[in-house]
Amino acid sequence: MTDEPTPPPPAPSRPESTSQPPVLPAQPAGRNPLAGYQPLDGDPDFPNVLNKLLKKPLSLVHHLETSEESGRIPLRLLGITLACLAIFGVVVGSFSGGHQLWAAPVKIMGGLLFSGLICLPSLYIFTCLGGLEAKFRTIAGVMTALIALSSVLLVGFAPVVWLFSVSSSSATFLGFLLLALWLICSGFGLLIVTRAGRALGMRNTSHLGLWCVVFLMVTIQMTTTLRPILGPAAEHFINFREKKFFLQYWSEQFQAESDAAARVP
Amino acid sequence: MAIFSCGPADTIPALCRGERGLLSDWIGGTRRGSLRTCALLIVLGCGCYGFTVGLWHGWRMAGYVAVKLPAVIFLTLLLNGLLNGMLALVLGSGIGLRQSLQFLLTGFATMSIILGALSPITFFATLNTPPPSDPAAAQWHAMILLSHTAAIAFAGVVAHQRLLSYLCEFADTRRAGAHTFIAWLSGNLFVGAQISWILRPFFGTPGLAVQFLRPDPLRGNFYESVLTALRNLTPL
Repeated sequence: MTDEPTPPPPAPSRPESTSQPPVLPAQPAGRNPLAGYQPLDGDPDFPNVLNKLLKKPLSLVHHLETSEESGRIPLRLLGITLACLAIFGVVVGSFSGGHQLWAAPVKIMGGLLFSGLICLPSLYIFTCLGGLEAKFRTIAGVMTALIALSSVLLVGFAPVVWLFSVSSSSATFLGFLLLALWLICSGFGLLIVTRAGRALGMRNTSHLGLWCVVFLMVTIQMTTTLRPILGPAAEHFINFREKKFFLQYWSEQFQAESDAAARVP
Repeated sequence: MAIFSCGPADTIPALCRGERGLLSDWIGGTRRGSLRTCALLIVLGCGCYGFTVGLWHGWRMAGYVAVKLPAVIFLTLLLNGLLNGMLALVLGSGIGLRQSLQFLLTGFATMSIILGALSPITFFATLNTPPPSDPAAAQWHAMILLSHTAAIAFAGVVAHQRLLSYLCEFADTRRAGAHTFIAWLSGNLFVGAQISWILRPFFGTPGLAVQFLRPDPLRGNFYESVLTALRNLTPL
């Protein structure tokens, strides 16, 4: 017995798998996609889950797949999501104030969770098409991890959003900024999905790439469905009467903004 | 002969992963209920997806297409069943009539699973599309048509890739399996297109009434309409 630190345990094999372990091409040092797919250090409490979500998200995926008591992690991730989106939503709602201070967080939370819910069946099927052998609850956990990480990163951008919301009066500009930030944050979240897929044995991740595009389109369309999130509150909480595709809506907003700017002497 | 034991809930991921054990049991007849399982998956998957296809024209049209989309598959297999089996035998694949049906149902079941998984998303998209009474309804109709065609094409390509790999593995030779696949695909596309024509409308042209079938559904055919459209496009 020595005082030297013990090396981290190797990534465990999957004894009940009937498929061959993934054969990965030679990777440069430090770019092994399976790096981090190891048992979770410590208890799955809130601080540790948040810490691992940022540093070693694959350890959460490992716990989801191998532990019999894996239900706590999705609940923790859901709690992190709701807290972060509530904070971010208040910052967004502060642009207009009034009812938007509560309406914006509610719409952002509800919209993102609903988007995850309707995209979950296709995520499970597309991962199966790629050869992944994992339980449905693991995939559901990966989805919550994706949304949770995106939400945490959005909170990181909240001061930036606040800065532009107090120094700009253009809802269109702020809207484009929020969409761009969402694309950045969700990009990190979607990386978890692809890395988790490889770690869990997916041979072909091309279907996941397609699913990522669909997920992004659903979330962006959700912002249009639940409008207004920026700008003054409307008569109805959600406008079910006027239906618009997000491209159409944003082009109209941009055109209106350009016309208004052209009229200013 | 290995027995692949999996419950109904495991059949879906096993089909998507293309697990050979499941299909071996089905083809070998060691696992009963395979035809019933595949038929059920087609009804549920294509039914849910068809519902979202027709939803743009309202709940009645949604119900009609939920019935018609699985019907296209079943009618195609019914009309081509004997032909598919005979082609498989004459092309030297060694695959019999029942096995031919099993292969094709497995392929269509895989396609139906993919479409069923996409149906929550297409349902959401349809709810967000302006109604047929919108002034730009023609453009929305074209967008709906193209997006659903892309989704069905994607599901069909993935499912048929699986079918080809199954055939090449289970046939007596890979070459015979590939030839059988091409023969089945050609025949089913040819007949399936005409059955789709007879069972129209699926998407529903704005301005036309919502009907289960158009008047005189057996008048004309898909290929004549394509030829007419091509003639209208060219000055010749």
